[in-house]
Amino acid sequence: MTNGDASMGNTRTIVSLDNIEKSFGDNVVLKDISLKVAKGEVVSIIGSSGGGKSTLLRCATLLETFERGSLAYGDMIVARKEPDGRAVYLGKDILKQARLKFGLVFQNFNLFPHRTVLQNVMDAPIRVQKRDKGEVEKEAHELLSKFGLGGKENMVPCELSGGQQQRVAIARALCMNPEILYFDEPTSALDPELTQDVLKIIRDLAKEHMTMVIVTHEMTFARDVSDRIVFIDKGVIVEEGSPEQVIDNPQHERTRSFLRKIYD
Amino acid sequence: MSASVKAAIKQGLFTALALSLVTTFVSPLFAGALTTDVTTAKGNETGSDNILGGTPTRVTWEAVVDEGEQVVGVDVVYPQGSSFSDESSIKVTVLDGTTRMNPENTASLDAATTTAKVNFSEPLQSGLRLRLEMYKVSLPNVDGAVSLNGTYKLADGTVKDLGASPSIEVTYASVAEGISNWLDQQPFVQAWNSVTFLRLFFQPQLIVSSIPTVATGWLISLGLVLVGFPLAIPLGLIAAFMKISKARILHILAAIYTGVVRGTPLFLQIYIAFFGLPLLGININQYVLSILVLAFNSGAYLCEIFRAGIQSIPKGQFEASRSLGMSGTQTMFSVIIPQTVRRVIPTMTSEFILLYKDTSLLAAVGVMELMLYSRSIVSLTGNMTPYIVAACFYLIVTLPLIRVVGNLEKRLALADNGGGAPKKKRKGRRDAFSQMREEISSTTETIEAAEQKVAEVQVETAAAMAGDASVAIDTNAAAARAQERHEATPTDTDERGDAS
Ligand SMILES: Nc1ncnc2c1ncn2[C@@H]1O[C@H](COP(=O)(O)OP(=O)(O)O)[C@@H](O)[C@H]1O
Ligand SMILES: [Mg+2]
Repeated sequence: MTNGDASMGNTRTIVSLDNIEKSFGDNVVLKDISLKVAKGEVVSIIGSSGGGKSTLLRCATLLETFERGSLAYGDMIVARKEPDGRAVYLGKDILKQARLKFGLVFQNFNLFPHRTVLQNVMDAPIRVQKRDKGEVEKEAHELLSKFGLGGKENMVPCELSGGQQQRVAIARALCMNPEILYFDEPTSALDPELTQDVLKIIRDLAKEHMTMVIVTHEMTFARDVSDRIVFIDKGVIVEEGSPEQVIDNPQHERTRSFLRKIYD
Repeated sequence: MSASVKAAIKQGLFTALALSLVTTFVSPLFAGALTTDVTTAKGNETGSDNILGGTPTRVTWEAVVDEGEQVVGVDVVYPQGSSFSDESSIKVTVLDGTTRMNPENTASLDAATTTAKVNFSEPLQSGLRLRLEMYKVSLPNVDGAVSLNGTYKLADGTVKDLGASPSIEVTYASVAEGISNWLDQQPFVQAWNSVTFLRLFFQPQLIVSSIPTVATGWLISLGLVLVGFPLAIPLGLIAAFMKISKARILHILAAIYTGVVRGTPLFLQIYIAFFGLPLLGININQYVLSILVLAFNSGAYLCEIFRAGIQSIPKGQFEASRSLGMSGTQTMFSVIIPQTVRRVIPTMTSEFILLYKDTSLLAAVGVMELMLYSRSIVSLTGNMTPYIVAACFYLIVTLPLIRVVGNLEKRLALADNGGGAPKKKRKGRRDAFSQMREEISSTTETIEAAEQKVAEVQVETAAAMAGDASVAIDTNAAAARAQERHEATPTDTDERGDAS
């Protein structure tokens, strides 16, 4: 992937969500959420369980549809906001193009169990992006060995540890050369000793200025890696700002009590 | 069991049970030439076409002493491949016209050279008829004519060749008939058969002699299911896609199909197809129709298996695929279906087992398959042994497959639990059922249908083994199906109808 150009002033917006409202039945899960992520930026989303963090990522990655607000990837509007605030999704073609802009890493990896490690990484670039097989294979090998998975190309996911599986999942997402990578609690399903391997990879990606949105409970990691921290509680963004502001010096009582719980 | 029954089995069955009782014991014809030039051969009793080779039989040989000859001895030589046993015997008769003479003689059967030797202390005068009746001697096991040769001795000591006798038509007896005949002679078999239960259910000769016939039925049953089942697969797949499709009408059509087929006995479906279609003027070859009915029936069960299989794939797989930009179709064909196949193979195998056993229901409409072939020998012999043989023929297919299902389940469980490829460790010999039960209960993520099916197989097999359909009293749907299918098993009363 191209190195980010954060130094150039974060001018380009990769994704913007505006006034998102999402409910499941009567349960309003996201209330008037707005979030913009600039190129090269690393945003961490924190908050207690059930707050709507995953739902937000799923809305951004088109796995869920929201009722109100708008969503755009760069100049490409995916869901337009009507004057009355209702969201109107654009056609299938646009959604298909939008899907190529991002990658998503799941809490429980979701690797394809019937495919080898290499096939997991190569399938989508070849099938979806119709890229040259040789080129994709080369890139896949590079990514895998960069992530410490050299030699595991022909194994199937169930032969790998959780940490290794998650690294394959990250390689799989990256091989599509997305503009932005979403992580939904990438280390929550891992044993503590395997967590660090995965976090290290994300740190490395941050150094390369990969644009990322990370839902995480790893506060130390979030503070180190993030340009911005967003605290979500009960479907609203309660507080957002630099790690120093939000983690070390939270302004809101809800943020404080959440952090207190985390550190206890 | 007599050779006549064996012959009947061989002949009668293949001509759709036309009963022709062949009486080998009282059949042979035969004769040879004796003296110098005038020899007469005379067939003994009414000849039959079915003199089985290699089978103990009665041979009669006659000759007339020529003018001027004085015969003191005769050696009748059986052709190569004939055999005498301890039970073989010879009877000598000398006739003067119609008057029985009783000249002093020594007669013996030499097993080593298969020669019947007769010597007279007083020479036989010309015009006398010499008749040799040889009991329980076996002619060569060939298809075709055999004849007896030999020599005779005159009073002056000269030895002359007998002319070739008129020939006997011998029918080739199969290996099974041969073994069966051999068993007939064995004292341990006779001891075994003296126990009524053993004779009626496990008669060695009948086991052996019914194998070829039952095997024919087995091949037909296997053929029906091997053609029918692959046809059911696409049918089931299409129905499964219809069932999970968002289009209401497709869903309803598939639901009607699976509901009706699964909700009625296969037995009834067979009756409707075999008696209903001809009423409409549609006449289809009964084997083709059998295959169609089996496929139509099994398709409905496979539909549910496939649907459950597809729906058992974790949602995360769809999401991962979609987030990688794959279209709905790409997701289906490259992510969901391959995983579904792995998951449904054990259940499909169970369905195959059920369908294979269900071919027996076709006996009710006169389709000659495993069940009906064995039944025909039963009705011919009044002995249960052919049913036991039939059971074995069902089991040689089902037991290995039940084992396969168990192993596949284990594999699946391991893969689902992320336990890596299954190691080649065997937990010793356990019986198939308890093994399956164990594997099923350990398969946390296994689709519900799989469990149902296996439960069904267990129940059915248990019922089959107990010989009692009422074992299947479990209330779940699977067991109900097993029971339903059992109840439909044809009884021994003739309900074949006119379809054949
Ligand atoms: N598919 C769904 N159907 C109904 N309710 C859902 C669904 N997904 C999430 N929710 C609800 O939305 C709320 C937010 O969930 P989620 O976004 O998973 O929270 P978080 O990721 O912050 O823990 C929860 O109350 C949850 O019960
Ligand atoms: Mg979550």
